[in-house]
Amino acid sequence: MNVDSLYALRDVAGVPSHPILFLVLGVVTFALHMFAVHVMLGGAALTIRGALSQDSYWRQLANAMLSTAKIAVSVAVVIGVAPLLFVQVIYDPFWYTSNVLSAWWVIGFIIILSVAYLLIYLFYFKNEDLTQNKTKCPGSMILSLALFIVVGLIMHTLTNQMLSPDQWMEWYAPQGQIDASGTQLHSINWARFIFMIALAAPVTGAWLYGYRHYISVRPGSDSGYLEFVHNLARKLLAQGSVVSILIGAIWMVSLPENQIEFLTNPMLYITALALIALAMVPTLFGSKINNGYNAYWLVAVAFVVIALVAVDREIIRWVALVVESGYNPMDYPINMDWYSTILFFATFAVVGGMACTYLITVAWQAGQTEGTYTPSVAISRLGNWTIYIILIWIVHYFAVGFWVWAQ
Amino acid sequence: MEMLGLYPVWFEPTLGSGWIIGIIATIHVLFSHTSVGAALVFSYLAVVAYRKNRPELLDYIRRYGLFLLVFSYVLGSITGPGIWFSTTVGSPRGISALIHSFVWKWATEWVFFVIEVIGVYMIVYLVNKVDQKTHLRISIIFGLASYTTMLIIIGILSFMLMPGNENWYTEGGYLNGFYGANTFAQLAMRTAFMFTMTAVVGGIVASSIKDIDFRKEMVRRLAILGLVATAAGLGLFKWYLSTIPATAELVMENRLPEYFTPALISVMGGIMAYFAATLAAPKLLKPAIAGVMTVVILVFGLWPEEVARESIRKPYVAGGYVYSNQVIGRDVPGLGIHSEIPTIEEHGFTNALIFLPEELRTVTDSNKEAVGQALALNTCSNCHSLTDTGIRPLANYFGDDSSESDIAAYLRAALSSGTTLYMPQIPLQQDEAVALASFIRQLKDQSIAVAADQGNPITVSQSH
Repeated sequence: MNVDSLYALRDVAGVPSHPILFLVLGVVTFALHMFAVHVMLGGAALTIRGALSQDSYWRQLANAMLSTAKIAVSVAVVIGVAPLLFVQVIYDPFWYTSNVLSAWWVIGFIIILSVAYLLIYLFYFKNEDLTQNKTKCPGSMILSLALFIVVGLIMHTLTNQMLSPDQWMEWYAPQGQIDASGTQLHSINWARFIFMIALAAPVTGAWLYGYRHYISVRPGSDSGYLEFVHNLARKLLAQGSVVSILIGAIWMVSLPENQIEFLTNPMLYITALALIALAMVPTLFGSKINNGYNAYWLVAVAFVVIALVAVDREIIRWVALVVESGYNPMDYPINMDWYSTILFFATFAVVGGMACTYLITVAWQAGQTEGTYTPSVAISRLGNWTIYIILIWIVHYFAVGFWVWAQ
Repeated sequence: MEMLGLYPVWFEPTLGSGWIIGIIATIHVLFSHTSVGAALVFSYLAVVAYRKNRPELLDYIRRYGLFLLVFSYVLGSITGPGIWFSTTVGSPRGISALIHSFVWKWATEWVFFVIEVIGVYMIVYLVNKVDQKTHLRISIIFGLASYTTMLIIIGILSFMLMPGNENWYTEGGYLNGFYGANTFAQLAMRTAFMFTMTAVVGGIVASSIKDIDFRKEMVRRLAILGLVATAAGLGLFKWYLSTIPATAELVMENRLPEYFTPALISVMGGIMAYFAATLAAPKLLKPAIAGVMTVVILVFGLWPEEVARESIRKPYVAGGYVYSNQVIGRDVPGLGIHSEIPTIEEHGFTNALIFLPEELRTVTDSNKEAVGQALALNTCSNCHSLTDTGIRPLANYFGDDSSESDIAAYLRAALSSGTTLYMPQIPLQQDEAVALASFIRQLKDQSIAVAADQGNPITVSQSH
């Protein structure tokens, strides 16, 4: 595929702001999405492990992780919308071609994800309290996790196929015969995919440290259970990081020709060092992680590692598409639209910031409170202002709309 | 030479990509409209519960909310991006046009979507765990954020039919594309009908309430909501129709099946009768009946509505400038967009297409059916199935006796000049027209052979 053809595929409408904004937002939101995916995968795996165990601590953990996984899927899906949006803006020739070439799998993604999501709820409704009752229908949870991994594989393949424009014609019309069925997954990089999945282990380890600290402040928390969670978190963090590093190394030595330049990029080594540091946290800090807010900082550090991986992923894409194929998303024609650009960032910062701060604060504190939780005056005032700010947003929507309509 | 930026084509032989997009979109409309309507109803009920000290209303919110978590937020949140996915593979340049004009608006909707998803979990799981006033605040935030997602998506849906303001073509600008009479008419109509859906789906939960008096009260409340919303929706539908462009009106008059209007009236009548019956005899409502009614709305209400919405956009699929076959069909100076028709007229599809095997770029006697198939995939298959099933089978539009040269003549006449109202202009070169005609004739022969094997004469629609 020559570079002129790639440029011809680019959307004729241009983009409404500088492409760098979409690139940065794409990386940041992908990191958030992957973090939620890792928590979901780890939570689901621990739910299965606990639900199949007779040990009371494991069952208690399974109960908590089931709720975690259930919410993490929602968070992963809702946050995943954003990188899906931004990839279409600046990498449209690559994303759309890759999707069309595996169209049935794209449709399958929707169906399989729906089934996997519903199976989690099926397991939840059958097992509302795993600490008191026998596990029912564990197969639903196992199948759910398996299907989530399948949708991950589909998404990985779509992303991977983007990076090989030279092979697109061969995939679309092998030996000159057009195959428009979209039934094939054409390019899977197993090492890369398994690495992305394996990161769920250290992330879940860090998450468990945070979870342990969160429940430890509840009155009457069980010290034996806290110790159990601590040990599990330690193992997952240390061993999971080591396994991830090894699989990551295999990925790096098997990089395709058009991505190999990434090996000279410093970000690769920074990420490797960050993963090594994550693996050494339990050894270096031991039970000090449970002091103060250290556990929450550890969760933040795990997120930073995932964010570094997201940056690496973007650099690899840059190497394959910009350096090797000659397509530069940064020269996308700009039809600057200040209104919608400012409106997004204002909504994101002000409305999103206020609403999420209020809602998460209430949820957080309610979870740590015995009985009915009543927020402080300051928090309630934030809630009221969140309502006002959304109302102002709605009034602005109609005011601007009627003004434009009247023109 | 300037290339034509068309993507590879996905061809699904049984249903057709158009119907797959339609199925996913229809399901999403049910889930999303129900959830937005329910969010506003929850806000209202939370206010009543708080002011009149009626905790049972909070319990109803919790139960309906939990139901919605699965019904709307699991499936709705997947089918939403699912529409992106399906249009990505079925109409990549159509969705790309929307994304590139409205990316920030979609990103803004995403902010409210995040608030909405956090909110739904909190109103379900924090009932009785936070004080009532806090729960009320959360319910209001949830309701407002939810409705805001609808405010945003409506402008994009309207743009699919036409830009809000004609000036958009010359000046560009998000505001010109987003706001117009159709935006507000569609918003009002959808707001009304979303309450209809909320009332029907809410009946599934309300009819399973154990306390008989409370069950009657909730079923009646929903019935009143449903009656008012459906009646208002019908009036607003007329307003909506008054805002569609003249070409869309013509397509509605000429291309929608004759049964469409009476069927629509029957469905609306049926829904009103259902609400009237549940208002008069609330104890008769059972979850299964409400469930069946939900399916009725999906199949007989939303599906025809989505099909009609798709049809009246023809020959365009987005913004009145992207043809349904993905070709850019008109200039949009405001964004520096040029019609691709002159390029096709000058070079032909076979020279300008990117995803075409080299051996098909020159039409010969030995490859003309293969070239014709490639052309049919690129220029026809978005709207016409290339098999006997699915959306508007292509072979059905030509008579049994039409010769290859008859078909080629038609292709070079009405179709190439763009004089058929609801069809894109497809300026085929002479050899391309012959190749496509050859493929269509082959399709026709296969279709006749299949019908003969089954002993059923096929129905031929001489639509052109």
